[in-house]
Amino acid sequence: MNEHRKKTFVVTRFDPDKDQVPKTQTYEIPVRPEWKVLDALNFIKDEVDATLSHRWSCRMAVCGSCGMMVNGEPKLTCSTALSDYGDVVEISPLSNFPVIRDLVVEMDGFMEKFKSVKPWIIRAKEKAPEEGTYRQSPEELDAFKQFSMCINCMLCYAACPVVAQEPDFLGPAAAALGHRYNMDSRDEGADERNQVFRGDGTIFGCSYANECSEVCPKNVDPAAAINQAKLLAVVDWAKGLVLPHKGGK
Amino acid sequence: MAQPAHPHAMAPSRPGRTRTAPPMKPGTWPTSPRYLTYLAFDFTGLVYLLVGLVALRAAWALGSGPEAWARLQAQFANPLYVAFHALTLAAVIFVGVRFFRLFPKAQPARIGPAKPPPRPVLHAMLYAAWIGITAGLVAVLGGIIP
Repeated sequence: MNEHRKKTFVVTRFDPDKDQVPKTQTYEIPVRPEWKVLDALNFIKDEVDATLSHRWSCRMAVCGSCGMMVNGEPKLTCSTALSDYGDVVEISPLSNFPVIRDLVVEMDGFMEKFKSVKPWIIRAKEKAPEEGTYRQSPEELDAFKQFSMCINCMLCYAACPVVAQEPDFLGPAAAALGHRYNMDSRDEGADERNQVFRGDGTIFGCSYANECSEVCPKNVDPAAAINQAKLLAVVDWAKGLVLPHKGGK
Repeated sequence: MAQPAHPHAMAPSRPGRTRTAPPMKPGTWPTSPRYLTYLAFDFTGLVYLLVGLVALRAAWALGSGPEAWARLQAQFANPLYVAFHALTLAAVIFVGVRFFRLFPKAQPARIGPAKPPPRPVLHAMLYAAWIGITAGLVAVLGGIIP
């Protein structure tokens, strides 16, 4: 093995059957210069301590499974180079999430928020298949394409100061996804989603800290999506005041 | 050292079968330059609250006659007031610059048929409006424009 040096990893451990609170465990392992943080975790799991639990899948920054805190910052561990860090690297589960075990967080709360924005195309009346597909111009695609690149890695939730304090806050990724469908020219469900957006504690809790966009590994810019969605939700509400059957209910 | 987040942050509406450790905030927040900048932005709200109280006091003095107004103007020469107004100016510039940096991307790609101008143009328009209105106010208050 082409080993170059050793690094020390301070990894958060939590066993729900034994531990009252999480603790840390230190591993000193040989690392290769081209390794990502995930490679080191997999080495620990395979060669040193098989009891360590962490999530990962694709190893190419697409699946969004391997989000963790690396030296206190939310990172996709499969795309975070070890060479960017010193001799000691601290790895902990994503902040702002309950922890199930070691580096694995509880995702159900996130999935509930996701589902609440109805992240699918809503049509008042579906076309019959023989009527063809819903056409969309490149310009119409550009209106939402950036927000459709989210891989649900939850780093934005780990970075958000509002998520840390407001359990009802819809949060960056879910709001960005809802906005993505509102901006889709094929969709007719904006009224339904804007009612969700205008609900208590949803998108208007965002104080535009912009941390979500800073940590997003896919440059989705959820902060932009939330603040665009705020404006459009208000416009929709104002239309509801003057137009029948529009927004604002 | 990480601090606890809200105990129900990102918790599901119904607890799962597995006991979980409570959520923690990122440990880097107390020292992160980005986060400290955000806190400074939030802190300016306190400055604006105090400015509002000073403005109310000025309005009250104005309504109480020339002597009260003269007394207030004399108090404004106090170094503490001068320092406070310097802090207010810094807070206004800081918030303005931060707002103008973030504002353009918060514009929807379109509202109906209307599209916003490109971001550099929007940036330039915001700064031009800010500087123009400030210059106009200074000209009026300084007596250059009667």
